[in-house]
Amino acid sequence: MNELENLGKIVYWHLTLGKLDLSITSLVISLWLATAAVFMFFFLVSRRLKQVPGKLQGVAEVMVLFLRDEVAGQIKDNRSAWLPFIIALFFFVLANNLIGLIPGLAPATSNVNVTATLAVMVFLIVQIASIKKNGLKGYCKSFLPEGIPIIIAVLMLPVEIISQLAKPFSLTIRLFANIFAGHAVIFTLISLIFLFKNYFIIPLPLLGNVCILAFEIFVAFIQAFIFTYLSSMYIASALEGH
Amino acid sequence: MNALATAFISAGIGMGLAAMGTAIGIAWLASKAMEGMARQPEAINGIRTSMILAIAFIEAIALYALVVCLILATKT
Repeated sequence: MNELENLGKIVYWHLTLGKLDLSITSLVISLWLATAAVFMFFFLVSRRLKQVPGKLQGVAEVMVLFLRDEVAGQIKDNRSAWLPFIIALFFFVLANNLIGLIPGLAPATSNVNVTATLAVMVFLIVQIASIKKNGLKGYCKSFLPEGIPIIIAVLMLPVEIISQLAKPFSLTIRLFANIFAGHAVIFTLISLIFLFKNYFIIPLPLLGNVCILAFEIFVAFIQAFIFTYLSSMYIASALEGH
Repeated sequence: MNALATAFISAGIGMGLAAMGTAIGIAWLASKAMEGMARQPEAINGIRTSMILAIAFIEAIALYALVVCLILATKT
């Protein structure tokens, strides 16, 4: 894992702001590339929207309609206000997961800081949405369901608080570990060639590499969908007002 | 046994146990999902979406164990 951690430390341009280290590493480059890819994709799609969609618009339509109906369908009130956030979150995570399949680039979500940032952002949005919808008193009341005796309420309050804190933690670890484990397996398979010090062994790890790469594409899509689905589930349960 | 050897052994055993639990859980889930899809073929889309969602939940638990075992296996 020490060799894998060096992937994000190939520094292209040192840049410090006092004590903050803002140097441009390869992970920063891949973050910018993923953002540019998402922007170019939607820019090209939305230039000439046709009633009968062509190929690129068809791909974008399938994914956006799936997000609007299935994923954001859990949010009952004011759904169209939350939809841009859900779509942007999905495509950002998807582009960052897929960029890592290009040799030489590392997926930005394989660094735990990136996924922790996204999860903390979702956590703050959920809490602030709940406070705005229910008011401060209603937010504090939502931790204790009503109609239970006081003894169980005292026991349930830490359990509710811990379960609220465990949600962004599980989002972080799930996304980070899936993408990181995929890259660790690819790294181990390729390093088998160097460990054997023989040219005849090459086809076998390469065959395994191809299979793992195909599985990684599948995992990238699934993890982006899971992240977005769980975020919209937390938003819907915070907005409904217990 | 010194602490480093214990860390390496426990990393391997821990991840193996976590993978075993995960495989049993996902196998049970997938078999019930296939039964449901065979009973009612018009619900295949809904069942497939819920099945993938549940698989991601179960796999996340195995990945918590993976993170702990990675920390143990790369100790110096």
